[in-house]
Amino acid sequence: MPDLFVSNGDDQKSQAPEAETQAVSKSKIQETTENPKPDEKNADIPRTYNPLGSFNYYPRSVNFENKDPQEKVILFLRAHPITNLGWMSLTFILAIIPPFLTALPIFENIPFKYTLLMGFVWYLFTFIYAFEAFLDWFFSIDIITDERIFDFDFYNLTYRRVTDVNIDRIQDVTVAIGGGIGTLFNFGNVLIQSAAEIPEIDFFNVPQPDKVAKVLREMRLEEEVERVEGRVR
Amino acid sequence: MPDLNLSGTASVLIKIAAIIGLVVYNIFAFIVIKQVNLMTQTLEVDLEKTIKGVAVAHFIFSICVLVYALLM
Repeated sequence: MPDLFVSNGDDQKSQAPEAETQAVSKSKIQETTENPKPDEKNADIPRTYNPLGSFNYYPRSVNFENKDPQEKVILFLRAHPITNLGWMSLTFILAIIPPFLTALPIFENIPFKYTLLMGFVWYLFTFIYAFEAFLDWFFSIDIITDERIFDFDFYNLTYRRVTDVNIDRIQDVTVAIGGGIGTLFNFGNVLIQSAAEIPEIDFFNVPQPDKVAKVLREMRLEEEVERVEGRVR
Repeated sequence: MPDLNLSGTASVLIKIAAIIGLVVYNIFAFIVIKQVNLMTQTLEVDLEKTIKGVAVAHFIFSICVLVYALLM
């Protein structure tokens, strides 16, 4: 009668290298899909994995609807963080108003339960204003992949628009940096003319617009080479 | 300074107005949760759980304010 324990041990020994190989190949797949290596030509472009980052070159974990499994995200963009200064300042002012208001003599004669309710309502509205402004910034993004460019626009809580254009349909890229703050913090607009139905895609207030245009130019050249060589996906 | 007496009809009217406003606000807070869920499905970056958590916490807080207005 064969010894079952010995037999199992052999199986385990034979399975162990296989499992190890699978683990290695899995980690390699993850490395290639989640953390692709940046182009050597653009080694000067810093990489960041901050989920709140505005300029993420070869981001680690970005996924979106309609993304092809083989498609690689090259650049992930949002408006520069300094563009949030307006709504942040207003939120701060709205947040500190109630303590000053309640110090007014008129509030001495209003029952405390009403004052408390007014405070709650005030802070609810202040919060939803700030939260919507944050979501507007957080989800209004632009993505450049190795095949397409995407423009996600989040206008308000009930309306959003997603546009995508193939890289090979891009005709012209314009960079516009204006104003003191834009020049100081190096952010601006990248306007992309395309031959698609939607003629123009705008990346508004993105950091380092020159580098964005450079990456786009390289992507277009690469796409052109792929087309000539017949390697189009 | 005249004393603002909010008892009686005025207080009932204020309470009803506050409750109606807060009910509408609660519906809006629920729409915010749905919209955040939709946006996080459209775009997956880190931080989805935090944003969803904030939207849910906001909804719960708005319900608490509504309950407070009802019990007031």
